[in-house]
Amino acid sequence: MYGYILKRFISLVFVVLGVSIIIFFMVRLIPGSALEMYLGTQVEATPKQMEELKVIFGEDKPVLVLYGEWLSRIIRGDFGCSLRTSRPVLPDILSRLPLTLELSFFALCFSVLIGIPLGILSSRKQNPFMGLVIRISGLLGLSIPQFFLAILFVMFFSSFKGWIPMGTYISLLKNPILNLKMFFFPSLALGGGLAAVIMRFTRYNILEVTLMDYIRTARSKGVSEKNILIKHVLKNALLPVITVLGFNAGYLMGGAIVIEEVFALPGMGRLVLYAIYQRDYPLLQGIVLIITVFFVLINFFTDILYVYIDPRIRYE
Amino acid sequence: MKIFFILLISLALIVILLTPFASAESRGGNLIIGVDQEVIGLDPNVVTSFSSFRRIDLLYNKLVKMDYDFNIVPDLADSWEIPDSLTYIFHLKEGVKFHNGRELTADDVKFSLERVLDPKTASPGRSYIAPISDIEVINKYTIKIKLSSPLASFLSGLASNNCSIVPKEEVEKYGNLQRDAVGTGPFKLGEWVPDNYMKLVRNPDYFEKGFPYLDAVTFRVVPEQTSLLAGIKSGSLDMATINAGSIILQAQKDPNLVVMQIPGLNLRTFGFNNTREPFDDVRVRQAIALAIDRDEIVTAAEFGMAQPSGPLTASVKKWAKPLEELPFSKRNLKKARELLTEAGYPDGFSFNIVTSSSYEGGVAVAQVIQSQLKEIGLRPELEVVEWGIYIDRWVKRDFDSMVELRGGSAEPDRFLYRSLHSTGGVNNWLFEDEEVDKLLNEGRRLVKYEDRKPIYDKIQVLLSEKMPVIFLYVPFQTQVLSPNVKNFRQIGNGALQYLSQTWLEE
Repeated sequence: MYGYILKRFISLVFVVLGVSIIIFFMVRLIPGSALEMYLGTQVEATPKQMEELKVIFGEDKPVLVLYGEWLSRIIRGDFGCSLRTSRPVLPDILSRLPLTLELSFFALCFSVLIGIPLGILSSRKQNPFMGLVIRISGLLGLSIPQFFLAILFVMFFSSFKGWIPMGTYISLLKNPILNLKMFFFPSLALGGGLAAVIMRFTRYNILEVTLMDYIRTARSKGVSEKNILIKHVLKNALLPVITVLGFNAGYLMGGAIVIEEVFALPGMGRLVLYAIYQRDYPLLQGIVLIITVFFVLINFFTDILYVYIDPRIRYE
Repeated sequence: MKIFFILLISLALIVILLTPFASAESRGGNLIIGVDQEVIGLDPNVVTSFSSFRRIDLLYNKLVKMDYDFNIVPDLADSWEIPDSLTYIFHLKEGVKFHNGRELTADDVKFSLERVLDPKTASPGRSYIAPISDIEVINKYTIKIKLSSPLASFLSGLASNNCSIVPKEEVEKYGNLQRDAVGTGPFKLGEWVPDNYMKLVRNPDYFEKGFPYLDAVTFRVVPEQTSLLAGIKSGSLDMATINAGSIILQAQKDPNLVVMQIPGLNLRTFGFNNTREPFDDVRVRQAIALAIDRDEIVTAAEFGMAQPSGPLTASVKKWAKPLEELPFSKRNLKKARELLTEAGYPDGFSFNIVTSSSYEGGVAVAQVIQSQLKEIGLRPELEVVEWGIYIDRWVKRDFDSMVELRGGSAEPDRFLYRSLHSTGGVNNWLFEDEEVDKLLNEGRRLVKYEDRKPIYDKIQVLLSEKMPVIFLYVPFQTQVLSPNVKNFRQIGNGALQYLSQTWLEE
């Protein structure tokens, strides 16, 4: 078991390294530079001024050299400074991380609270019509783009005073009630799509497991339907759902970008969008690195959790 | 005697009855304004973005400023004399205090203007006041500025946010004022949480007595236009600048909101790279101009909320020639086709139009132009690129044609020189014409309106004949407010300086 964990951890490091290389080179392939964005179309700069500014923006060296410099600094914990604001990148990222984490966490909760019960309901043979309704709404939830859903929420619920506070962030510690109110609709918009995925997956697994021999055995032993559901079906059906959740949790952080834009929440998602628009390379690389680490860690822990819960795998 | 008492009592009654209708200003309150862009910095002499200027409107002052009618009026300078076209003497107001408590003197004006002129500062305002040859402090409140050549747009240049007056010791202490704002304006910098909000608090020592009424103005960053409107409806914002026509229409339909709209100062342009074939042939450019229908573009792209315009912003009636008087401004498809054939393109040709999906990029405008040009046999292709790539193409002059939104000015020299003089800093259409250059040089040297008007009239006609770029329209400047925001006034360039006279009704 411990050998497994160690092996997974090492591959983790390689993944993060690989992603950092890809992002570093890919983003510099996009036309447009931080310097050009800084000057925009309203400012006149002589060629000499452009040359001087290029040095400040670090654009005068070959890309490979720049990567080496960046890597050596990252290992020491120095994430560099933003090209636009000249402020250290790491504190800015870390200050906005809690918001995106909270948003993703609540979205995850919504997707589980909505997805699993609906998945169970839609798998019951007693009420096929309700099953159909739930499945169709699930399909809708999957198909509606998050952006569209978010804008719909904003348009229709803006008249609910105080439920969509635009552009503010009040931390959970300062004012829990306001904070929860604030996160309600954004988390719902973010978690909606995932809820549909969870629902369909839960339903599929339940139906699969119900056909298994050991369920038939339990029934013939005289165990009540309710106990069959809880003790045997759910435990086995929900296990794969954990993996799916772990996998999608990382993608939630990506969807958070759109939600944060529409609801004007100052989170990390918006920051990475801004970094791309402004070609703010140090900021972008810092954020991608942190997101990658999170994504990889979540999957790592999901794997460990899975191994721990499912005795069959443990003894393989 | 009786009549006297009757009159007295009637008068008293009238006063009592009318009092509730007199809307008195109420002091206090925090006005929350939604903006769609965060600012990078607040240093007035250095910043380039319009979003920064909006904060600087409230934090700093200049020697002179522009009022809502585009007139140059006193700001820090109480009065001035122009004894000859090369000399300006300004008399400063006394008792003006910086936010750090120190009184503003002529030394600060000298320091600030020299800072703007210093190439190391890379100030966008430098070209506005470049001909300054000497700045002399006569006494504590008097300063004399000499120019090396006459410049008609000098006062207008001094009214730009980039020429705000800053305190020397603070600039030296911090290196620059990007994060630490110390001005003379009606509001001081209170709290700034980047990409979240910026709170400006009332300056109790502001030199315009009685102002401001508000305790604070808070800028909140809300990137989406729909969300800005939702913010005002839900009460989390008191006002917002909205530029998406569809959202403005929604706001106008809502009886609980106030929509203020005036002609703006920005110009929407459709320009050519004048060095690329076939756009180096003036007949091709004229033909394209004749195929353009400005009204259709305004309806489709701006929901009707714009004014068709020629080379000078149509809203500045003092200078702009009416569009009907300019050649090639009226649609004439037959003549357009004739010109194309004359130039050697009877079957048309294909070319690219570079545009972006942001508001400035004007992709809707490009789409309408594309359909209009197809009617004379041309085959334009849209290249809709991401904003960063759009800027890259602009800087490298890598386009056949491009849709842009240019910042205009109420002073013709300030806009035309940098845009269309062969040495102009933002002349990315690569237009070079001796006649236009000569007239532009002359126009900025003369000082009297009566002398300059005929020259700029001639320039407008020439530019319409040579058509290096087609000037399309001036979008309206729109603010959406909640009804408890009182006494706000717009200026065509979007400046927020009248927030100093705004109050919030309870």
